[in-house]
Amino acid sequence: MGASAADLVRPPAPERARRARADGSAAALAIGRRAFADGRVRTLSFALLFAFIAYVNVSGYEHSFPTVQDRLSFVRSFGNDASVRLFYGQPYDLLHVGGYVAWRVGGTGALFAAAWGLLAAVRALRTEEDAGRWELLLTGIVRRRDGYLAVLGAIGAGWLVLWLGLWIGCLGGGLAAGGSAYFALAALTPALVFAGIGALASQLAPSRRVALELGMAALAALFVLRVVADTSSGAGWLRWLTPLGWAESARAFADPRPAVLLLPLAVTAALLWAAGRIALRRDVGGGLLRSHDRRPPRTALLGSPTAQALRGERGSLIGWLAGVGSFAFVIGVISTTFQTVRLSESIRRELARFGANILTPSGILGFYFLFFILAISLFACAQVAAARREEAGQQLETLLALPVGRRRWLAGRLAIALGGAVVLALLAALLAWAGARSQGAHVSLPDMLGAGANCLPAAVLFLGFSALAFAAWPRATTGIAYGLVSVAFVWQLFGSALGAPTWLLGASPFHHVGLVPAQDFKALPAAIMLALAAAALAAALALFARRDLTGE
Amino acid sequence: MEAIRAEGLTKRYGATLALADLDLAVAPGEVYGYLGPNGAGKTTTIRLLLGLHRPTGGGARLFGIDAWRDPVAAHRHVAYVAGEPFLWPSLTSAETFELLARVRGSEDRAYRDGLVERFRVDPDKKVRALSKGNRQKVQLVAAFASRADLLILDEPTAGLDPLMEVAFRETVREAKERGQTIFLSSHILSEVEAVCDRVGILRDGRLVDEGTLAQLRHLSAHTIDVTFSGPAPRLPALPGVAVAAAGESALRLEVGGELRPVLAALAELPVVALTSREPSLEEIFLHHYDASDGRLGG
Repeated sequence: MGASAADLVRPPAPERARRARADGSAAALAIGRRAFADGRVRTLSFALLFAFIAYVNVSGYEHSFPTVQDRLSFVRSFGNDASVRLFYGQPYDLLHVGGYVAWRVGGTGALFAAAWGLLAAVRALRTEEDAGRWELLLTGIVRRRDGYLAVLGAIGAGWLVLWLGLWIGCLGGGLAAGGSAYFALAALTPALVFAGIGALASQLAPSRRVALELGMAALAALFVLRVVADTSSGAGWLRWLTPLGWAESARAFADPRPAVLLLPLAVTAALLWAAGRIALRRDVGGGLLRSHDRRPPRTALLGSPTAQALRGERGSLIGWLAGVGSFAFVIGVISTTFQTVRLSESIRRELARFGANILTPSGILGFYFLFFILAISLFACAQVAAARREEAGQQLETLLALPVGRRRWLAGRLAIALGGAVVLALLAALLAWAGARSQGAHVSLPDMLGAGANCLPAAVLFLGFSALAFAAWPRATTGIAYGLVSVAFVWQLFGSALGAPTWLLGASPFHHVGLVPAQDFKALPAAIMLALAAAALAAALALFARRDLTGE
Repeated sequence: MEAIRAEGLTKRYGATLALADLDLAVAPGEVYGYLGPNGAGKTTTIRLLLGLHRPTGGGARLFGIDAWRDPVAAHRHVAYVAGEPFLWPSLTSAETFELLARVRGSEDRAYRDGLVERFRVDPDKKVRALSKGNRQKVQLVAAFASRADLLILDEPTAGLDPLMEVAFRETVREAKERGQTIFLSSHILSEVEAVCDRVGILRDGRLVDEGTLAQLRHLSAHTIDVTFSGPAPRLPALPGVAVAAAGESALRLEVGGELRPVLAALAELPVVALTSREPSLEEIFLHHYDASDGRLGG
């Protein structure tokens, strides 16, 4: 070490203090670097996603809406449609490419950005602490305040990467540099605010799970506020209450209002300051909210590994059901709003890309059920990810040392995923139908149940792929599972705008789904997907039975 | 039929040879101590015995049942305590017992209650709020309460306080009296010395020594301290005997083989005191791991 030699020639006290400070800041820098490196895959994925979506929308605009007439028609139809605003928010200028991109990319991008901020903060500030690593770092020469600031610096650096991604995507498509920079800043302010929310939730919650639940609940509530503000007349003022609304109100490319951005910046600063105050005062390893660590035994659902897995997934299942169910109901309610609108030929073409006849409720519902296929596929991924967590956490080792077969365990896990997917699909169908009926739309229940069932082949296919990833590359399970679904979906939504050839578009399973109830059910692709899924699931069961259990 | 039988059991992880050609037989009712430092291959052996990892070569049988091909049947005889007490954080201790018992399909409920008392487990506390030692106790109670024929324990007392260590030894003795077999991986030598009938010593994935403690001692060096009436004389060179000065008029002999020639040589000399000491398990253990130290050579 050489430390003993250094001890022999002790520098005078002020010198020592100076050196300790210098070492402390070097250590803080190391902590910041570590936190940044820890999130780099997530950050880079999000940055690439932003760049891709921005680029595609910029370059697709001229192609989709060549004439002023097309654009006007688009404004009158889409721009005024509640179901479209639900996703993309309030448009301010759809007659120019910049305003269109700010609306189309900014609206959904704000949600992605918020999710990124939340995940980044909770990961760096709560997961690390749950794992005991934070405690380890703080027993070094780093003061808590410096450690906290170092982590914030790492999140800030990650945010800059996102900003660069979005900015470069806009530039690549041909937008002006200055406007793009402002737009990227505005669209990504939700990432900052939600990093603040995540930081605060990490101080309040006693565990990662609770912190994420708090953050997701905040995101859901603030999203609902934004939706109400953008879809209900007279409720526009609600936009001032949500960071997702602030991003919109910055009005990039249309009527820029930079002063609005002071709002998210101030709120972020306040949240981080509050989180920092708590972080410096509370016991390391705990949260402000007390965790309930004692209770009389509840012995329901402990009879088998599958029952216990269901028990562990109960909370998440309820969350998925609530989310998908309420979304389906809203979609049903707003499915009636398009009927009176006249569309130009080119917009029909644009929509025909998705196979949607958006003039009828069933057309809208058919289009939006594409998103339910996405949601249910993501649910399947989440189930396989949970199975992987049980293995990585070595609970599986304890289970499999009991008289429990590996195939039986995995089959049970997959059965929960399948069952959940079926229930989600039926629930989406039922509630979308109920929503549409509540507005007097003529949509039949059997048609909607068909739309629900139509979600399943693709979702089951992704379940099969995820399970296969779990069996063959356990450590990469989560990344492969979510990655496949996301890439396939983004490719389906935007690949055609890039003018990609049909065979390449056809690589995405989403491409082969009939948009029931607007279109007919495509039996052959569905059968092929189900057959592929069955093969993947069988291969997963066989491979998993033959491999070593693998820890973290 | 042996409780555990491994033949040529070998495991490679990529280029790393974790376990080389292990032959092992543990009889029913035996308490077998499996010794080795960190990374010697103890946990690898256990994962192979349980069919959690797939052998690269050879195989293992528990009560005659192949651990890899038919793990479920093999596990009906087994209770396992994992080296890292990762359980389900959101379950309480009582719920964990319930889950493990129901999935296993058998449990001695009255004995479990006794063990909960003995190990001072708080049944209503969630696992996530327990320290490592307390989680280890939950695993131990569940394993012993199962009354399984074979208990496979991977460093079960890591994190236990001395009182709980005593409780553990008592519980092992009870299990032995009932005829249960115990495979105890450990590097706590006093524990192995106290409870094990037979010991295997693992080094770099190879079993380098095995036998009862008496056998191991027999094969290893005795320490003989000899005090003479005058200055210590020079001893004639004897095979397998290392001599070191221990003060002006005393010698310390490390005798690796037969004692007779040493005693014959000493008989001629003015010996005033002589003590002979068997090697402790620690010395036997260190002997296998400290090859560079020629003192105990061989």
